[in-house]
Amino acid sequence: MAGIDTGGGHGGKRATNHEIPLIPFIDFLLCLVAFLLVTAVWSQMARINADARVPGPPKDEPPEEQKKEKQLNVEMKGETKFQLVWKEGNTVVNTIDVDRKPVPTGSNGDIRFPDLAKKIEEEWTANGAHRAGSDKKFDLAILHTDNTTPFSDVIAVIDAIYTPKRDFDFAGKSEKVPSFNVTFAVN
Amino acid sequence: MSEKALSRFHQPIAVPGRRLMHHVPLAFVRKKAIGGGGRATNHEVPLIPFIDFLLCIVCFLLASFSASGELPVDKNVKLPNAENVMDMTEAPMVAITGTQILVDGTPAGNTRAIEEANRLQRVDELFNVLKNKRELYKQINPGKEFPGVVVLQVDRKVQALVVKSVFQTAAFAGYPNVSFMVGRMGK
Repeated sequence: MAGIDTGGGHGGKRATNHEIPLIPFIDFLLCLVAFLLVTAVWSQMARINADARVPGPPKDEPPEEQKKEKQLNVEMKGETKFQLVWKEGNTVVNTIDVDRKPVPTGSNGDIRFPDLAKKIEEEWTANGAHRAGSDKKFDLAILHTDNTTPFSDVIAVIDAIYTPKRDFDFAGKSEKVPSFNVTFAVN
Repeated sequence: MSEKALSRFHQPIAVPGRRLMHHVPLAFVRKKAIGGGGRATNHEVPLIPFIDFLLCIVCFLLASFSASGELPVDKNVKLPNAENVMDMTEAPMVAITGTQILVDGTPAGNTRAIEEANRLQRVDELFNVLKNKRELYKQINPGKEFPGVVVLQVDRKVQALVVKSVFQTAAFAGYPNVSFMVGRMGK
């Protein structure tokens, strides 16, 4: 086993060869591993982002003249369908209906909307304005919900909106990020 | 006295060894009888790589060890799950549990007024708590840009009206980057 051999220790002097006690050391390490494994926190928590685009405090300089961009309005007010509406300012460009087919996932009542996710991905591929990795802006999706809609359904729809991904250059690296920024309609 | 007899006299004790079947004039029998040439039955357990392995585990577990314990998820809040999520970030945590609103575990209003009014409205107590937190951040970190991130921990059954009201209140208090805490769902 592990030891230090200096080749001395003859002639009645104290031995200079030493054995390192490895077995207690291994026991100690195993105890440490066991303790750390027991106290480890394996967190499954994550976050889903939303953007609050509300007017801030008034500034001295006049606001920049902004070019009207297409925005995807996701209406989840009906019981049977979603409505995807592309708008440029107040002008409706296109309207698409998607059947509301919730797919249960997991045992705790979570649902997904795969049909909606697929349609939104197709729509972004066809109409999305911000695609380049160097483009710091994102396409905007505005979510319209009923007041009584449960939060779990809202998250399922936001999750579907975040399905299409695009490249985004950040600190010299290219990452895949959701193509849309999501915000809530006020009314 | 012969020379042989003398030498025998000087070494009265001979090294013990196997005696059986030594006289058999067959090489393979002698080899078997002597016991040489077989695989050694003593083995050294390779302890050094084992210790290296244990040390690696200890280092990894120590690096991921959290002395403060789990993320502060309120026991009464059942979070929804989502697929397209981001890693958690450190930010003020606003929990909506039942009718109570908590900011980092401290009560900051309730949702009853919103539900009774049945319309979107600002939660004044929450607004003041968040605003104070923002001002405190600016005092502690002068010259540093305020991130404006807040994490909402919302029960899956909470109505969208309450979520939107809290979302808007956070935005008015200077937190435009609102994230919803969710569970991470496998793809």
